[in-house]
Amino acid sequence: MLESGLIIRALMRNKIGALLIALQIALTMTIMVNAIFMIQDRQQQMARESGINEEDTFYLTNTIFAQDYNIQVGLQTDLNAIRKTPGVVDAIQINAIPLSGGGWSSGLQTEPGEDKDGIGTAIYMVDDHAINALDLELIAGTNFSPSDIGWRLPAQSAWPAKVIITQALANSLFPDNGQSALGKTVYISNNQPMQVIGIIKNLQAPWNGWSGVERSALVPFQMESRSGRYFIRTEPGRRDELMPVIESMLANSDKGRIIRRLSTMEETREQSYRQHNATNKILMTVVSTLTLITAFGIVGLAIFSINRRTKQIGTRRALGATRWQVMRYFMVENFFISAVGITIGIIGTVSLNYWLVNKFNMTPLGFELIALGVVTLVIVGQLAVLYPARKAALISPATATRTV
Amino acid sequence: MFNYYLRLAAISIRRHWGLSLIMITAIGLGIGTAMTTVTVNYMMSANPIPQKSEQLFYVQLDSWDVNDPFDEGQNPPDQMTYTDATNLFKADKAFRHSISAQAFAVIEPQDPDLLPITVNARANSADFFAMFNVPFLYGGAWSAQADTNKELVAVINRETNDSLFAGKNSVGELIRIDGNLFKIVGVIDNWQPTPKYYDVTSGAFNDTEELFVPFSLIAEEKITRAGNTSCWKPSGDGMAAFLRSECIWIQFWVELRDEQEQQDYLTFLDAYVEQQKQLGRFERPLDNRLSNVMQWLENQEVVADDAKMMMAMSFMFLVVCLLNTVGLLLAKFLGKAPEIGLRQALGASKATLFYQYLVESACIGLGGGLLGLVLAWLGLQSVAAMYGDYMKDLTSLDTTMVLLAMLLALGSTVIAGLYPTWRACNVQPSQQLKSQ
Amino acid sequence: MLTMKNICKVFQTSDVQTHALRDFNLNVNEGDFLSVTGPSGSGKTTFLNIAGLLETYTSGEFLLDGEDVGKLNDNGRSRFRNEKIGFIFQGFNLIADLNLFDNVDVPLRYRGFNAKERKRRIEENLERVGLASRMKHLPSQLSGGQQQRVAIARALATDPRFLLADEPTGNLDTDMAQGVMSLLEEINRQGTTIIMVTHDSELAQRSGRTIQVKDGRVSEAAAFNQKAIA
Repeated sequence: MLESGLIIRALMRNKIGALLIALQIALTMTIMVNAIFMIQDRQQQMARESGINEEDTFYLTNTIFAQDYNIQVGLQTDLNAIRKTPGVVDAIQINAIPLSGGGWSSGLQTEPGEDKDGIGTAIYMVDDHAINALDLELIAGTNFSPSDIGWRLPAQSAWPAKVIITQALANSLFPDNGQSALGKTVYISNNQPMQVIGIIKNLQAPWNGWSGVERSALVPFQMESRSGRYFIRTEPGRRDELMPVIESMLANSDKGRIIRRLSTMEETREQSYRQHNATNKILMTVVSTLTLITAFGIVGLAIFSINRRTKQIGTRRALGATRWQVMRYFMVENFFISAVGITIGIIGTVSLNYWLVNKFNMTPLGFELIALGVVTLVIVGQLAVLYPARKAALISPATATRTV
Repeated sequence: MFNYYLRLAAISIRRHWGLSLIMITAIGLGIGTAMTTVTVNYMMSANPIPQKSEQLFYVQLDSWDVNDPFDEGQNPPDQMTYTDATNLFKADKAFRHSISAQAFAVIEPQDPDLLPITVNARANSADFFAMFNVPFLYGGAWSAQADTNKELVAVINRETNDSLFAGKNSVGELIRIDGNLFKIVGVIDNWQPTPKYYDVTSGAFNDTEELFVPFSLIAEEKITRAGNTSCWKPSGDGMAAFLRSECIWIQFWVELRDEQEQQDYLTFLDAYVEQQKQLGRFERPLDNRLSNVMQWLENQEVVADDAKMMMAMSFMFLVVCLLNTVGLLLAKFLGKAPEIGLRQALGASKATLFYQYLVESACIGLGGGLLGLVLAWLGLQSVAAMYGDYMKDLTSLDTTMVLLAMLLALGSTVIAGLYPTWRACNVQPSQQLKSQ
Repeated sequence: MLTMKNICKVFQTSDVQTHALRDFNLNVNEGDFLSVTGPSGSGKTTFLNIAGLLETYTSGEFLLDGEDVGKLNDNGRSRFRNEKIGFIFQGFNLIADLNLFDNVDVPLRYRGFNAKERKRRIEENLERVGLASRMKHLPSQLSGGQQQRVAIARALATDPRFLLADEPTGNLDTDMAQGVMSLLEEINRQGTTIIMVTHDSELAQRSGRTIQVKDGRVSEAAAFNQKAIA
């Protein structure tokens, strides 16, 4: 373009102003691209499926305080009562809730012995109703039968003989062929054998930040516990209506315990990813205000430089420049400044990402996001300069002849 | 002259209100964001017990699996086994020592019509209260004999006292926990160290416990144990087996008053572990650690990564806002070149002009700082709202933070104003006066 | 009062040297009303800038009120301007953001007078130019002639030894120009030395003495001055 040389020479005469804008654009790009990257990363984590039905499920804690209370009888009575309630699909006692942040883990290994490596696994102690209550998808093998279910005393070290594992766990235990896991024996507590009788598609561990979050196992146990959890699935849409019904039914049926901490799975997911959500919101706010501030900076400085050059612009108009040519001058000028800023910005973006990767164990960011940042900032720059450029284009050619 | 400059600044800011508004908003946003994240970081990394954080030490012993070291061998286990904790406690080598673990209890009210309440509890030895400067509203700690004699005594916090006894002095009253009657010996006044340094295992910013009972009652099964438990070896069946196991679930603190006591205690720990090695335990190399409060919090990384990362981001944000201000101030001051030339002709020296425009920058900084404080306050409110309980004790602005915000705003704006001001007072007067 | 001996001013731009003033000699006495005329580009503006200590000169000797002003540093020159020189410009150069009172106040502030003294001087000088009633107005609310009167009041407020006027009537219509000129004559009669740069020979004739600047040198054309006196 004919004017390019002219514009660059004019810019060089006002280096500092242009440099300030370029630096702002560079930093904005650095922050924007990295922040969006972090937002995406979190959104991907949040989008992972827990593997269970989260819409129609809730759970509660049953805390027994009465002395000489028969826990085993109480548990069967409670579960029968809940399962018989109209609208309830199924109910189980469970030791931990997916996504809740609290649970049990243990190492599973394919060969017995204290010196063999174990694979960290989330342990869910449940009965044969679990697959139905949690709404899990059994992709191979069979469910537990009622006779498989053991009674676990507090601090008991013996494990039952059967286990159902997730596909991800199968792949970790048998890296060569995850499918072959069915029927194999795995060892818990270093040397207690358990036979894999079923494989389920998905079931997340209770800890969403854990690298092994997809590795879980169902163990056929009911527990002698003075503070146990019941997990209940209702027919679609009937959860909210049934929660108080079941709470009062349990509370009234037996005065030796209290029913507390009723919570839906949806609330649990919300709680679980609350920090992620909050951080994302904050990052989003930062990115948008930052972009606005940079845009305002561009507008402010452009207006200033146009005010200073009023007479010059008038003279150009008097000499035959069209309105569009005047506008184009400022838009091209902004484009050059943006180009410098974006170049520095790319370096900044990659450096900040490098630092984040090293310091906070994040993954390196992709090329597409950088490209997106480049395009966004060019557009923001052009939009910001549009108003001042229009103002410049409206300067009357008569200004040229005015002396004062 | 200062007042005169203030008046000139006020006139200038008012006459160019659009530009001034952008600058004040930019600085306000920058300061607001920075202060929000700084406050959260500051609260997270605060010293919760400044008077004696140098004298309180968390004790770690490496009792873990030789085949699969704890934390890949970087750190010894973050809690202690019952065997080691009780052995160290019995050896009684420190000025004070606290053995404690999380517990859980249901308190049954005397009135049968009222519902029982569940509380988070702590089982601890008597020194706990003195070591951690726990303030008492009524009564006080139990005695060391109560620990040894496994007495059924309890300390409750203010809220529990409010709900059970309507806030009256309840010392001497009895409460029923899991069928046993406990005698209340003390009521704790409001107490919420942030971070909750004495036990960070299940959240460094959790609430303090509502009920405290002697640690020795855990072995008696008079109180239910809770909290994180990690084992590397099967523990065997029943409570007695569990207590003998290699599972870690206890926090052990000692109070050591000087360098000498610390040295002596470390020597004692080494000797203890050597002796245990004879018994076939502690197969890992000797790695005993004493960490004072701040070292321990550092080691446990209580300042969340998110918080640190956001602080870094918000400072970059502030830099953008300042660059913006530099640009706009430059535009504003250079736009005043004719006025500056005139003032020089009328006798203003460069120093005078520098002073004048610095005052104007500072005024904008002050405006930005005040706006920043309001935004920081709003920011902290929304952080508290979005993060919930996790952040609730971390989002208050204290005087230090308010002062820091104003200083940061003033300082950074004055620095941002330096270059434009310098350019402004180097205007060549003769060039500005002729050409209008 | 003002003595310039062999003053030279050379502007150096990359590879061209421009001699704005060469061997400029001038002597102005206390109480004079001197007009400086000349075609544009002759060097009269450079002379005014040097005389008003707004610019430094390359060589020569310059005594102002008995002081060798070539030896002053930037701060010294500022103080000298403030205490001894009053400026009047073609474009009035009032500060648009400040009202009349505050405009006249500017040099007094730099002088360091107390509030009472400043107020007295501002009111007295605005009174003198006939604008005391409009003290709170902004410059944009006044006509050109009125603005120039304010500039004169500002120049006089510090009781300067002499006034430097640069085309003081250049932006004014004839009636207003007459008024401003009469005011300057009045001020001169009361004892203030005035040096006025103008290209208007008619105006120049009204002053006591006229010099013409050509190619950076003084070519005294005093002839019609005698006539004026006669």
